[in-house]
Amino acid sequence: MTDENIEKEIISIISDISGFDTEEIAPETNLPDDLEIDSIKAIELTVALEKRYKISIRDSDIPEINTVGQIIDLTKRLLSQG
Amino acid sequence: MHGTSNKHYDVIIIGAGIGGLVCGCYLAKAGMKVLIVEQHHKPGGYCTSFKRNGFTFDAAAHSFGSYRKNGNMRRIIEGLDLDSRLEVKRYDPSDIIVSPDYKVTFWADTDRTVQELQHAFPKEAENISNFVTNLINFRPIDFAILRKKTFKELLDQYFQNDQLKAILSIPVLGNGALPPSLISAFTGSKIFTEFILDGGYYTGKCMQTLPDTLTERFKELGGTIKTSCLAKKIEVKNNETKGVVLKDLGYISSKYVVSNSDVRQTFFELLGDGVARREILKKIDAMVPSLSIFTLYLGINDPHESLPDAGTNVWFLPDYNIEKLYFSAKNMTSDIKYFMMRFSPDKKTILAFANAPFRDKGFWRNNKQTIINNFIKKIEDVLVPGLSSRIVYKDAATPYTMYRYTLNYKGAAYGWATFPSQLFTPELRMMTPIKGLFLAGHWTTHTQGIPGVAYLGYDVAKLILKKEKTYRK
Repeated sequence: MTDENIEKEIISIISDISGFDTEEIAPETNLPDDLEIDSIKAIELTVALEKRYKISIRDSDIPEINTVGQIIDLTKRLLSQG
Repeated sequence: MHGTSNKHYDVIIIGAGIGGLVCGCYLAKAGMKVLIVEQHHKPGGYCTSFKRNGFTFDAAAHSFGSYRKNGNMRRIIEGLDLDSRLEVKRYDPSDIIVSPDYKVTFWADTDRTVQELQHAFPKEAENISNFVTNLINFRPIDFAILRKKTFKELLDQYFQNDQLKAILSIPVLGNGALPPSLISAFTGSKIFTEFILDGGYYTGKCMQTLPDTLTERFKELGGTIKTSCLAKKIEVKNNETKGVVLKDLGYISSKYVVSNSDVRQTFFELLGDGVARREILKKIDAMVPSLSIFTLYLGINDPHESLPDAGTNVWFLPDYNIEKLYFSAKNMTSDIKYFMMRFSPDKKTILAFANAPFRDKGFWRNNKQTIINNFIKKIEDVLVPGLSSRIVYKDAATPYTMYRYTLNYKGAAYGWATFPSQLFTPELRMMTPIKGLFLAGHWTTHTQGIPGVAYLGYDVAKLILKKEKTYRK
């Protein structure tokens, strides 16, 4: 899967969970401020990404996440680590 | 979008519990034509009150949380301009936990609560402070850390002392009906921060004020509500909702349907055969509901000083093996071990409850009176000496009563049991795979309690408005 496809797919997952259109979501979009990602949606998002990409997000990864781009980068990094 | 026909609505909401009412208010406020249907003759779900022999009793929900400045419940109520109309009052202290060795008080001032806990457990002083500070300051995304953990794992990260862990867990057990080793850390921490550290709020003269005021506001905003109106079927064509069939009123069409009712009913009865995928039905069928509650209602003729402060929830923790306490409740025969009691704000009644399993009508017919008497004796022995001589009215609601009035599966008090494995079940999200069908309420597997379901109702309204492209932040 290309980086571009992953990015598109993650934005689509975030759109599905947040209810905002994909056009409103870009890498610099802030998850809580722009997309109203609350604690419920934060968990839904984490669980959805772990399931889709068969990755395991560690506790230490969580504090770094604020934006859509950071979620995309984290997913790519975890995927590359296999 | 407004039409004059009463055979078509933009949204039909099934269930006038707090989630359904909040959802309806926000959709109506945005200009949508909304119908709420409720099978009971009054709105509220588990948040209702009733009168007997001149006494007013709250049926189940007896206070709520999350009403601090910027708390979710406060923001939802303020968004509907109901803050002054509701006359929300906070009782301080909100909760007291009584164990064989300690009496711990939860004050409106969290620092004071922390100091009290530190005084009782000096060796854990720093851990107590860290636990409370961290939970209060969690960003939304930080809760993702808790997604697979149990509340016990979270407590073990901070504390060594088992007595302290049991004291912090008893309100979680009472309000979540699971012990720390089984309840998710997400649910446990939300109960602790939103219901206990920010708890003790009350509306008007009784809890019925909350659904009644939301209903009044819903009507002012143009909404229609029909009580004593049972939904029989959700019509779906080509995987898209078309409307709802109501008892007596027949078919009413709508673009969206929000089911703020029991999920088993939604999927097995209202949707009927061949609509939802078989694997979803199989999964729902295998899921475990939360325990119910046995609720005692006492009318008091002499408000005596032996009674606790009016409006304060008093929890009785008989010993520190909280897992054992849970299993004793789950296998209940006629004995009450742990419970919560509350002397009503009007100083006329007592509500006490204990977690209890679902049993059939026959079991309760044979055991209800014995349990009532055992329950009163227990309260008298451990908290309120001389209580029985002041009682002029007594009755109780069994788990079967909870089922009868609300149609919640097995009278479940908190929706699904919130094991980490059952929390955030993807199939039971607010937005379902059926176009136009949304789920609200505590059966969505996300959250529970009044602030929890109010928030879900609000969020479902936002999801629908986003679909309609009329959502404004």
